[in-house]
Parts: sequence; C-alpha cells; structure tokens
Amino acid sequence: MRTAEPDVVEVHLASHPKLLGLVRALVGEAARLAGFSDEEREPIVLAATEGVTNVIRHGYRGDTTRRIDLRLHAPPGSLQLDIEDDAPFVDPTDIRSRPLDEVRPGGLGVHLMRSTMDAVEYRRNDRGGTTLTLRKRVGNPPLVEPPPAEERR
Amino acid sequence: MNVKREDHGEAVLFVVEGHVDMHTSPELRQQLRSALDRRSSPIVADLGGVPFIDSSGLATLIEALQGIGKYGGKLRLVSLQPSVRNLFRLSNLTSIFDIRESREDALRP
Repeated sequence: MRTAEPDVVEVHLASHPKLLGLVRALVGEAARLAGFSDEEREPIVLAATEGVTNVIRHGYRGDTTRRIDLRLHAPPGSLQLDIEDDAPFVDPTDIRSRPLDEVRPGGLGVHLMRSTMDAVEYRRNDRGGTTLTLRKRVGNPPLVEPPPAEERR
Repeated sequence: MNVKREDHGEAVLFVVEGHVDMHTSPELRQQLRSALDRRSSPIVADLGGVPFIDSSGLATLIEALQGIGKYGGKLRLVSLQPSVRNLFRLSNLTSIFDIRESREDALRP
C-alpha cells in the first residue's frame, strides 16, 4: 500500500508562464491549510510566482518545455516551498536584487522574495540545477519593508 | 487578464482586470506601447480589477513610465487594490508613480 504525507504536495510542471496562475492557486491553498491569513498569503503567493518566473526567465531562458519540480511542505503554522530546476546552477552570490533607488525594469523579483519570506535559500541539487527554498512561518511579518517614501524624506 | 481601452481626447484609459504576471504582462505592454506610439497623455491604467501583480507587471509599468517620459507625457495609475499598493511600497515605487484615487482625476490633462 502506498501512503503519502498530508502536509506535503509534490508536483512537476512545464516551464510555461501560463501555469503561474496554477502555482499561485496551489501555494495559496496550501498556505490557507497551514493557517496563514488572507493578508499573509498574498506575499507568499507573490514570492512563489517570482521564484518560478525566475526559473523560466533566467534558468531556462524562456524555454517553455522544461521541467520544474515543486515541493510544498505546509504543516500547521509554516510553509516551505522548494522550486527545483535542472538549468545550470547559479552561484547564489551572483543572485542579488538591484538597488531599489535605481528605477528600471527587472531585478525586482529577488528583492520581493527576500522582503516577504523568512528565508530564501539557493543550493545546487543532485541534477546539477538549482533548488530555491522559500520558508515562512505564520504570524511572522515581512523582515524587510521599506518605509513609505514620504517617511524617509 | 483583460485590458479594455477607452480614448478620452488626448488621454487614454486602460481598464485592466485579472492577474498581471509573466504570462499576461506582454499583452499589457503591447497596449501601453500602442498609446506611447501615439504620444497619448495622460495614459491612465485603472488597476481596480487587478488583485495581483508581480515583478513582470511592475517592469511593464516602469517601461511605460520611462517611455512616456521621453515625450513629456504622464502615466497615472488609479484604484490600486491594497495588495497591489503594498507591492508598490515593497518595491519602493510609490513615490515614482503618479497614483490617483479616481479615474476622473487621473484623466485630467
């Protein structure tokens, strides 16, 4: 008899942007089951979208036929999402967000993930690709939130 | 995502509905570019029907802002939902964009 853990969901999907909505639905519902409020779920769903988008755009360079593995672990009170690709491994020290005072398109995804999640970790996986792990605990507000511009002046 | 366009004299209004992400932002970009090509101003994007934008959507709006600046036009955003407004704050973009509360205000020359 095969068994499965109720707090774990594993899926694989093609690296096609049309599936981003499905990723959001899956991650959002897992976060709800783990006990995150509506307000808390929004940034988690955003971070998941940014993580998968980065794989499609940068890892697979827009190739929509590659494989992405998602593993959600969402027991009561926390959520962990692993996003695994087999694109060439990128050294985490090369992954950085752009300075926020530099207004230009691009480079915001990493900043948004780091701003909203408790932990954002990259590691080389056993397929030579990259596994991005995003973690969040219930009741833990974003670590980094720049104050409104008018308050900084 | 759905984008409806309304012309108001020199101004153009885009009513955007749905999620703006890597999949849908190319359509929004194309619509904004058509208005930029006509040198419309102000260009107004009503985001009241947008519950979710990611960095791809933000990049599209930043591109439009930079494009319209080249001919001295104005880009205005209106009716941001709280989640989207929070995204602008997180991205430090609240002071960069001209964000209005009503379409009427945003469509003024």
